[in-house]
Amino acid sequence: MQSPLEHVTLFHIGPVPIAEPVVVTWLIMAGLGAFAFLATRKLSILPSKTQTVLELFVTVLDDQIRDTMRRDPAPFRPLIGTLLLFVLIANWSSLIPGIEPPTAHIETDAALAVWVFVATIVFGISGRGLKGYLETFVEPSWVMMPLNLIEQITRTFSLIIRLFGNVMSGVFVVGIVLSLAGLFVPIPLMALELLTGAVQAYIFAILATVFIGAAAGESEEIPLTAKESD
Amino acid sequence: MTIDWWTLGLQTVNAAILIWLLARFLFRPVSKIIEKRQALAHADLDAAEAAKAAAEAERAAAEAERAEISASRAALLDAAQADAGRETERLMQQAQAGIAEERRRAEAALARAEAERRRALDAQAGQLAADIAERLLRRLPDAALTAGFIDGLVAAVAELPAPVRDRLGSDGPVPVRAARMLLPEERATLEARLAETLGRTLPLEISEDPDLIAGLELDATNAIVRNHFRADLARITAELTRHD
Repeated sequence: MQSPLEHVTLFHIGPVPIAEPVVVTWLIMAGLGAFAFLATRKLSILPSKTQTVLELFVTVLDDQIRDTMRRDPAPFRPLIGTLLLFVLIANWSSLIPGIEPPTAHIETDAALAVWVFVATIVFGISGRGLKGYLETFVEPSWVMMPLNLIEQITRTFSLIIRLFGNVMSGVFVVGIVLSLAGLFVPIPLMALELLTGAVQAYIFAILATVFIGAAAGESEEIPLTAKESD
Repeated sequence: MTIDWWTLGLQTVNAAILIWLLARFLFRPVSKIIEKRQALAHADLDAAEAAKAAAEAERAAAEAERAEISASRAALLDAAQADAGRETERLMQQAQAGIAEERRRAEAALARAEAERRRALDAQAGQLAADIAERLLRRLPDAALTAGFIDGLVAAVAELPAPVRDRLGSDGPVPVRAARMLLPEERATLEARLAETLGRTLPLEISEDPDLIAGLELDATNAIVRNHFRADLARITAELTRHD
């Protein structure tokens, strides 16, 4: 059994070592990109089944962002949607024999959390202005500034560790059971991993939404959903 | 456990690329088609609203027209009812006038018929009375048929105007009809009394006429003096008829 804490370099591109999580991520990116390209080639007003599923996904995602942030979901949709899809597929990639999910490696989780951290700052400044964003660090008073600054770091770390710990532990448990019990015994645990992977993807995406929304602040004009506008 | 910084860097770049990829090929096209459908739906809804408003306006116009037609119909009905009422009243008055006229005519005809009937009855009664009187008088003795009538006849001649009295008998003997032939003494009495009244002798031509029932009738050319029951009955009958 191979530990997810170990780094296996598959090959090098020049001086750059290419580890297994990077290659799996490339595969996931290729699959998602190809699916997105093919699925959205022939969108029409009268949707096909695939288009209906895609529209349902985007609509639900928008509703979730709107309900959480109380803002127009369009600027946040690519980041939140990508985090959700990538983490979900990366978590479920463990079902393929021989594939280790990239999210079981802390570098992948850290890379995703870095973008959440950057988005928090960018959307915070664009939503409140630089002065307004900086003022959020001294709320409710100056005394709280150190804690607010630490919170920015710690909640990013909490994102990394939560996802990494859950996925990595699942991989560990399945690997240990597989090495001890046999071929079909880990199947219930793998099914549990499916649920855990979905839940962790949702938690990662919704926490990113909450952090970015808190930084950006609420919009005065909340766009109505189609349901509300009726 | 160590962190592979190369992997961290590559995964960071990979995440950025994936965000761009999905934004470019998944989220943007899908959100655009959703917005396009919403725009079309809104356009359809606006068109439906406009059509609904137009339909409402047409319905209101139709309602107004219907109300106008109803009002016109009601006015026409009222006018027709008023005309019918006036025509009915006129016809009723005409009918009542006709009925009154017919009634008046009927009453007049009835009155005439009643008067005619009464006249006929009176005539019959008079005739009956005359017949009864005649039958009764015919039972009298022959002497009674002329006795007592001579004085009456002479008194009537005395009441004639003088010129008429003077001309009596100027054309010859004066015809005298009696209910029965006068006896010679009765004829002599009559001639004597007339001579006494007229102051001269009056020649008489006496004849019998049972139709007189009883009495005498002097039938001169210029005067007729009746003193008999037939004339009395005729006068009585005439009087009865006239008074009725």
